[in-house]
Amino acid sequence: MTRARLDPITTEILWTRLVSIIDEASATLWRTSFSTLVREANDYAIILTDLEGRSLAQSSASIPSFIGTLPRTVRHFLRLFPLSSLKPGDVLTTNDPWLATGHIHDINICMPVFHRGKPVALVAACSHVPDIGGRVRGAGNRDIFEEGIQIPPLYLMREGRRDEAVVAFIEKNVRVPEQTMGDVWAQVSAAHMMAGRLAGFLGETGIDLDELGAEIRGRSEAATRAAIRAIPNGTYRAEWQIDVFGEPITLKAAVKVGDEDIAIDYSGSSPQVPRSVNVVPNYTFAYTAFGLKCMLSPEVPNNDGSFLPITTWAPEGSILNPRYPAASGARNAVGQCLPGLVMDALSAVAPEKVSAAGCLSCSFAMTGEHRGRRFAVMNFINGGQGAGNGRAGLDTVSFPSNVGNTPLEVMEALAPIRLVRRQRRPGSGGAGAHRGGEGALMEFEMIGESPAVIAFIVSRILTPAPGLGGGAAGKPSRLSINGRAAPAGEHHVIQKGDRIQIETAGGGGYGRPGR
Amino acid sequence: MRAGPGARNKGAGGARSREVTIGGAVSLGQRWVEDMATNKGRRIRIAVDIGGTFTDGVAEETPGNRIWVAKRLTTPEDPGIATAEVTVELLHQIAAPQEDARAAERVVEVVHGTTLVTNTIIERNGAKCGLVVTKGTRDVVDIRREVRYDLYDLNLKLPDPVVPTRHRFEIDERMDAQGGELKALNEAEVKKALAALKKQGVEAIAICLLHAYVNDAHEKRIKELLRDQLPGMYVSISSEVAREIREYERMSTTTLNTYVQPLMSRYLAELEGRMRAIKVGAPLRIMVSSGGFTSSAAAAEVPISLLESGPAGGVLSAVNTALEAGISDVLAFDMGGTTAKACVSTGGEPAVAHSFEAGRVHRFKKGSGLPVLIPSIDLIEIGAGGGSIAHISQLGLLNVGPQSSGAVPGPACYAQGGKDATVTDADLILGFLDAENFLGGEMKLDTGLAEKALDRLAKRLKMGPTEVAWGISNLVNENMAAAARVHIAEKGLDPRKFTMVATGGAGPVHVVEVASKLQIKHVLCTIAAGAGSCLGLLAAPARVDRSFSKVELLQEVNWNEVKSVLDALYREANTELSAAGARGERINWTIGVEVRYAGQGNTVQVVLPYRNIEPALGKTLVAKFEERYAQLYGQTVPGGTPQVVTWRLTGRSAVKSRGFKWAVDRWSGKGSTRPIARRRMFLPGKGDYGVVPVYERYALPPGTRLKGPCVLQERESTVVVPRPAAVEILKDLTVAVELR
Repeated sequence: MTRARLDPITTEILWTRLVSIIDEASATLWRTSFSTLVREANDYAIILTDLEGRSLAQSSASIPSFIGTLPRTVRHFLRLFPLSSLKPGDVLTTNDPWLATGHIHDINICMPVFHRGKPVALVAACSHVPDIGGRVRGAGNRDIFEEGIQIPPLYLMREGRRDEAVVAFIEKNVRVPEQTMGDVWAQVSAAHMMAGRLAGFLGETGIDLDELGAEIRGRSEAATRAAIRAIPNGTYRAEWQIDVFGEPITLKAAVKVGDEDIAIDYSGSSPQVPRSVNVVPNYTFAYTAFGLKCMLSPEVPNNDGSFLPITTWAPEGSILNPRYPAASGARNAVGQCLPGLVMDALSAVAPEKVSAAGCLSCSFAMTGEHRGRRFAVMNFINGGQGAGNGRAGLDTVSFPSNVGNTPLEVMEALAPIRLVRRQRRPGSGGAGAHRGGEGALMEFEMIGESPAVIAFIVSRILTPAPGLGGGAAGKPSRLSINGRAAPAGEHHVIQKGDRIQIETAGGGGYGRPGR
Repeated sequence: MRAGPGARNKGAGGARSREVTIGGAVSLGQRWVEDMATNKGRRIRIAVDIGGTFTDGVAEETPGNRIWVAKRLTTPEDPGIATAEVTVELLHQIAAPQEDARAAERVVEVVHGTTLVTNTIIERNGAKCGLVVTKGTRDVVDIRREVRYDLYDLNLKLPDPVVPTRHRFEIDERMDAQGGELKALNEAEVKKALAALKKQGVEAIAICLLHAYVNDAHEKRIKELLRDQLPGMYVSISSEVAREIREYERMSTTTLNTYVQPLMSRYLAELEGRMRAIKVGAPLRIMVSSGGFTSSAAAAEVPISLLESGPAGGVLSAVNTALEAGISDVLAFDMGGTTAKACVSTGGEPAVAHSFEAGRVHRFKKGSGLPVLIPSIDLIEIGAGGGSIAHISQLGLLNVGPQSSGAVPGPACYAQGGKDATVTDADLILGFLDAENFLGGEMKLDTGLAEKALDRLAKRLKMGPTEVAWGISNLVNENMAAAARVHIAEKGLDPRKFTMVATGGAGPVHVVEVASKLQIKHVLCTIAAGAGSCLGLLAAPARVDRSFSKVELLQEVNWNEVKSVLDALYREANTELSAAGARGERINWTIGVEVRYAGQGNTVQVVLPYRNIEPALGKTLVAKFEERYAQLYGQTVPGGTPQVVTWRLTGRSAVKSRGFKWAVDRWSGKGSTRPIARRRMFLPGKGDYGVVPVYERYALPPGTRLKGPCVLQERESTVVVPRPAAVEILKDLTVAVELR
């Protein structure tokens, strides 16, 4: 078949095929993963990039952060392992926060795809693995060494053969080696599946992937630029405070809207901290871009072109651009504020497109031994969404991330805890013409004979989610052990009979109440 | 095209007339007299399917498997009216030529499928119900799983729970995850809650306690107390409706069951009354989502299991058609006006999923509905149909659907005011459809209006109208193929091994191109798309499902416990199956065990015969699990420990295909294999129009062999073969297409 002309119909048909290939691989990755975060919370992604690491398409189900990070990871790999040196069957890996997703708990892989003897594309995948060693994930870790094993960019496989030394090192340093490596192998199988399907697609259609990629990226970029034109030019500012470990952190954004691009400068935000809430630039960019996409162009597909008009910057040493060896395990607690912060800045010029601040996904992780077995569990508890112009905020929902809770029955089957109650927090949403969403309250009792370690990521204890346009702030979060306020930034050892209570924040309201 | 009822001398050749009993009883001469003499022994089975627009009915007389068809507009205000009318009409058709006033007495069963449950949930007009839960869990149905079904939509809407907070009551009681009682049931509190619910005027009560999937004692006790205290109140308990781990999903299922229970119970009781009134004393069987039927009484207890009753019938019909042609691996493909559905079936058995959604806020967005844990035929539904609207996306690319022009205004060519170009408009311009022969010529299509609509799009895209017409048709095919591809991949299967069976008005028009995209070589088009679901109802096996969850490492399974629970479920299920009238056939009992590697979230189902539940079974299970796992994912997990999550018991009567023979005028009997016309049609392989022969489908006698490209016209649809292919008319008038 001769090469098809890339008119608006052919392009759409080929693109649909390409996305279905990626979704097929994504389904495989999801189903074979051990991590509860992958399967309950879609904490994974798989993408296809061109030979320069520009994303062509990404799995539809993934959470927002990886949309921004994975192509950057591929470009880092290409910088360190030039394309000309890569052979069929090579698989690269890393969990370096700066090169990849912002914390070491996500392992990334990257594999070149060859067709008729020539490299044509790269497949990359990442997922939040069940364990990465180190101390339990929480806001309290003070540097990256406490957080677990670091995997520098390495060959995981060479020409189809596993590098056993790399595998052995990882396995020796994590608590549940067969599960952690099982998830990595799940990524590898999914990448192979995608490579096979892609070869079939290229063979059948005779299409030049670069040409198709340029078309897709070009159109997405143009659509994003068109959406930006609808926002008046200018520099818009917002400043928030957020807390995750007992001290407020300042986040400051200057959003500069040009004709067809947006640049966000985070100067003036707090410096990096000796806690695990530092946000590497990949993640800073990812959540900023996600917030803008929700506002401006939710229908535009995810690829390199859609995000080209958006740039972010923060000075080195900032909490939004930390230096090694900053800890970053709980970077979500700060990074996920960025969509709301940017919306706050733009609320005056695009009031119908924004949402007031909400709670961020809170979580606790717990490890120990129960009935002679080691356990390591992690559970999310979400709070209220911010209200918008014309609608109330949703109660107890994950935003901007999309991580679900774990069923109580599953939790009790996995760890020595007994739930006392999980309920809504009536009245916790900020008042306004439209009220903020309600937070949740969860109380449980430790019932194991041996003590266990528990760590939390609970934000907005001191700094409630602000409202917009005259709307009131929501109620702040609360954390207590046995009825006494407990510091969220520490690891705690809990005994049988201890009662833990987490209350998540309500979302901010929109507009003056009574209007 | 319909021949009159009095048409005689059909089937000129002797050999043919033996096969083709289609001409109807009247034309069969000698056989007819014999039939009369033996009417007493001839049993009649009736299937009635209530759809959104039409209520269809089919009657089958055995032996002989002859069938009659009837149709009425659905009567939404009281669906039983159309059901009864269709039944009367069918009996009339059978009785009139035979002068058999007692036909009703020969009816041995009535199989019924309905969208009533689905519609009640979508339209939110179910019962006022109450909910009794474990202390601390009253808000579970509000909190849900906290995920959003659309990442980028800031104005997301979620479906409200069907039980408002004021009708939910907490009870102090507690089981642990292993089923141990941590706290006894506070019966005084139960009685108080029930009294309060009674006072609030609820019609039905759901009971869902934590860990009831492993120990149902407290739920059972509350049900007893309720029966004493509130006789006549409808009640559903979670351990009976969906005995599976995950409290939100189980609670959602139980409350939805309660929500539709009063309505369905009344409906079924009234329907039985109506049947008696028309002298049909035969038992009423109800089609359930899993692709089997159950008794009317069992359906009234767990009406939520009727959620996908209608589509299940359609899939079974496709499977039956294929089995008759000796084919057991099928991709059933239905394409109507708004949606396309696809379902994989292997070994003659449709794939069954164990969780589903009801009442989605956005029809095509997964996760926007309320979860339901019931076994259900695993079908995918996408927004692709004849009415799907072509439009230009934000990226300047052509998109088709999911928005549909619906029946009103419909596609532009319907000339009812629709301005948007739809798939039907494109199909008309491409020559796939004939303006003069739509719905047997009852509805003329306006080619000019279709052209106008397409021209508007073509101008905006700066492309030719033919390119755009083919683009629309090709794109909708690609959308359907993409969805099917992922669906098949999720099951670890290879599409190339399947035969596609097309139903629905647009199914036969598009099936060949969709098949070619999936590299599927064999395609079947069944007869009488409209009656499709009913044929499935008649072919359905009796089926019953039971399950229970207990999360345990396979090496630590307490086999005595599993055996005793399964045995108890078996006794219960067997009683239900007998009541459902399993037709004295051998019942195939299997256990489906949901197994995973400890730590994983998703399970793989391993199916074994239900016998010898003992420790030795553990080894077989591990072997079967690893085999299935490797088939799905290419490799097993070294060092992984298999863990059992859920045990499912299924009893099903044996799968037997049924060859139906039309007692009405399906086949025109002219016996002509010559084309009735030639017309211009777009040929994708050529990229341009060509002239192809047009055949009258029901003029073609069984055994006819044709070559594609060609078109076979019929009243309900058009079989479009736009590529080189071998086409054959099978003995039951199914059209078989083999692609080159």
